[in-house]
Amino acid sequence: MRKKSSMLVLVSAMSVSLLAGCGGNNDGAQPSATASSSGGTSAASKTIRFATWDTGDALKIEQDIAKKFEQDHPGTKVQVEAYADGFDQKLAAGFGATNPPDVMYMWDFPTYHQSLEPLDSYASQDASLNMDDFYSGLFNYGKIDDKLYGIPVGFTTRVVYYNKKLFDAAQVPYPKDGWTWSDFQDISKKLTDKAQKQYGFGVRASNDTYDLQGFVWSNGSSFISDDGKTIDGYMNSKETAESIQMFGDLVKNGSAVLVGGKGQQSGEDIFKAGKLAMWESGIWPLESFKAAGIDVGTVEMPAFPGKPVKGVIAESALSIAKDSKQKELAWEFIKYYASDEAIKMRTADLPVRVSVVNELKKDQDPLYKPFYTMLERSDNTPAFLLNAKWNEVNRQLSAAVEAVVHGSVAQDALNEAVKDSQRFLK
Amino acid sequence: MANTYPRQAGESAASLKPARKRGRGRVTPYLFIFPWIVGFLVFTLGPLLFSLVISLFDWPIVGQVHFIGFGNYTEMFTQDPLFWKSFGITLKFAAIFVPLNIIVAMGLAILLNQSTRGNAFFRTAFYLPSVISGVALAMIWSWVYSGEYGILNFFLSLVGVQGPDWLNDTRWSLVAMVLASLWGQGAMMLIFLAGLKGIPKDLYESASIDGAGTLRRFVSITVPMLSPTILFNLITSIIAAFQQLTLALVLTGGGPMKSTYFYAMYMYENAFKYFRMGYSAANAWFMFLIVLGLSFLVFKSSEAWVFYEGEMKRKPKRNARRRSG
Repeated sequence: MRKKSSMLVLVSAMSVSLLAGCGGNNDGAQPSATASSSGGTSAASKTIRFATWDTGDALKIEQDIAKKFEQDHPGTKVQVEAYADGFDQKLAAGFGATNPPDVMYMWDFPTYHQSLEPLDSYASQDASLNMDDFYSGLFNYGKIDDKLYGIPVGFTTRVVYYNKKLFDAAQVPYPKDGWTWSDFQDISKKLTDKAQKQYGFGVRASNDTYDLQGFVWSNGSSFISDDGKTIDGYMNSKETAESIQMFGDLVKNGSAVLVGGKGQQSGEDIFKAGKLAMWESGIWPLESFKAAGIDVGTVEMPAFPGKPVKGVIAESALSIAKDSKQKELAWEFIKYYASDEAIKMRTADLPVRVSVVNELKKDQDPLYKPFYTMLERSDNTPAFLLNAKWNEVNRQLSAAVEAVVHGSVAQDALNEAVKDSQRFLK
Repeated sequence: MANTYPRQAGESAASLKPARKRGRGRVTPYLFIFPWIVGFLVFTLGPLLFSLVISLFDWPIVGQVHFIGFGNYTEMFTQDPLFWKSFGITLKFAAIFVPLNIIVAMGLAILLNQSTRGNAFFRTAFYLPSVISGVALAMIWSWVYSGEYGILNFFLSLVGVQGPDWLNDTRWSLVAMVLASLWGQGAMMLIFLAGLKGIPKDLYESASIDGAGTLRRFVSITVPMLSPTILFNLITSIIAAFQQLTLALVLTGGGPMKSTYFYAMYMYENAFKYFRMGYSAANAWFMFLIVLGLSFLVFKSSEAWVFYEGEMKRKPKRNARRRSG
């Protein structure tokens, strides 16, 4: 109450000073107005705004790429806006106020495509982009109703990381491609030593259901039907429940630890501390694992007996806002961002161009190889591309998955989630 | 002439002044508060009423806006289990937090009202937490509650109790929220303290002479004399309990398993995570009506338990009533 009223006072005080500025001090206000507009319009320098969700080292790389672009294009300025955790809020606010950044990172095309510029004509008219050089399939993630809204600039598949030292100490052979989930469960059990606070595997306290799709597909099911209209019998199918239940059971029977809850260490931190034998993730933590001195290995995901392993791609693309006033320059920037030169600077995810991978021999590196094996296995369409209301269905699904890793029965939790989501599928 | 002229002028000016003053008087005060009125209309009342309009629409930030009448309201009442769940959690939180908050704040105020040494120090010490902003407070508590490294579990271990992982245990997370919320209540304590200072000493003196003990004096003098303050604090506590968002957002994120998923957080996520502005506005209006209703009930009940004995105006009235009765 007190805070509220003092906020009110503050807000009104601020509005007073604004009004005073407008009314009495015209000549004072004018110079600043011209100063800000000159940045956008004058021929001497053009500014494009570029919004990213990255922070830390990845952000640093992106700023470097932006600087390189400025050097190659004299008279341009790229304003890198790091939205971090507030990416969606800030971006949505920008679109809502018709003042969005010109170029932005994008993955959630179903939510935003109405505010994005279709890029088909740019891409087809501009041979220098060389679309054939991209890994096939990456463009599908940026397409809505057959229109292209984003150019892929980075991606990763998911693999299992393992700590070789812990395997050696327990005399357990390293996992190999073609292993199964029962192998995985056995190893996890063997490598758990609670007295040492060492665990075979870490299960995230709150999972991104997007990442779990690979397991569900591997078990022959999916969250939603291929036409995107039905979840009953998919999200709560026996196979889906089985694959989610597996993680709940690992926690329940003590062969895995729940990680990343509030005030708890993340799985990555525990892995870096050498107390986690296996961890499931994308390419992102690889460098930090190496830097922490862990003798790390990677292997493709385990299989359900008799079924093909499927993977999921996490892709980031760049898009142009429909309301952008400098689409040409924005396109130039995207093109540079997807060029060999910029891709080589980006070490936090996998190169999108086949030529770069071949040149760097990335797919020969044993640590990287499983990522490319998983790429070949990633041909299913993720649920969010199939239904425009997926975000809200996912809210129920996420709650169900969280309940399962905290001890609920997967089949019941998923049935509930399906029931509660029906209203979004009409 | 030389003397009278200025005097006349002065007189006429003096006789004019009050009239002009009266005329201008109607406008001038409003001119002074004009910026605040504009601020109130533009930043408070305007958005408030506009949110009522929004609540009748399907209003995403990105995309098309549709009029759907009371669709948002029927959806939340009939189809959305999270609505009821979060509302239930908030009710539970309020039911634990509000009485505790009043008791603890009043207890502290009574202790500080004793004339002991170091009173000023304790007054400052107990008030200090309310200077800390909500988010910083939540960060502090997230460390206090940490299952493995938290100072709370350290103290518990000293007395041989193995503390729970407060923020990751569905049985304890709401308790943890109540405890953390109770901490920053210096303002309420100060209001109680001011109320206590306002109770005339002679009441206690005459009561002691009549042989009333400590408990009797507390029940028959302190509580009734403090009842208007209790009423005020009760209502602000209820409002604060229903609006609790910062702690949930920063401390637990509504988890684990939605055990601290307060109504305010549900509303916040509908608006800023799922971008359903219309739906969220409908949520907000429901909360407004609930808080309004509760405040109304408390006010109604206050006729029975709040005594305005301290106010001079009421005294004759009560006496008169007593005499007639």
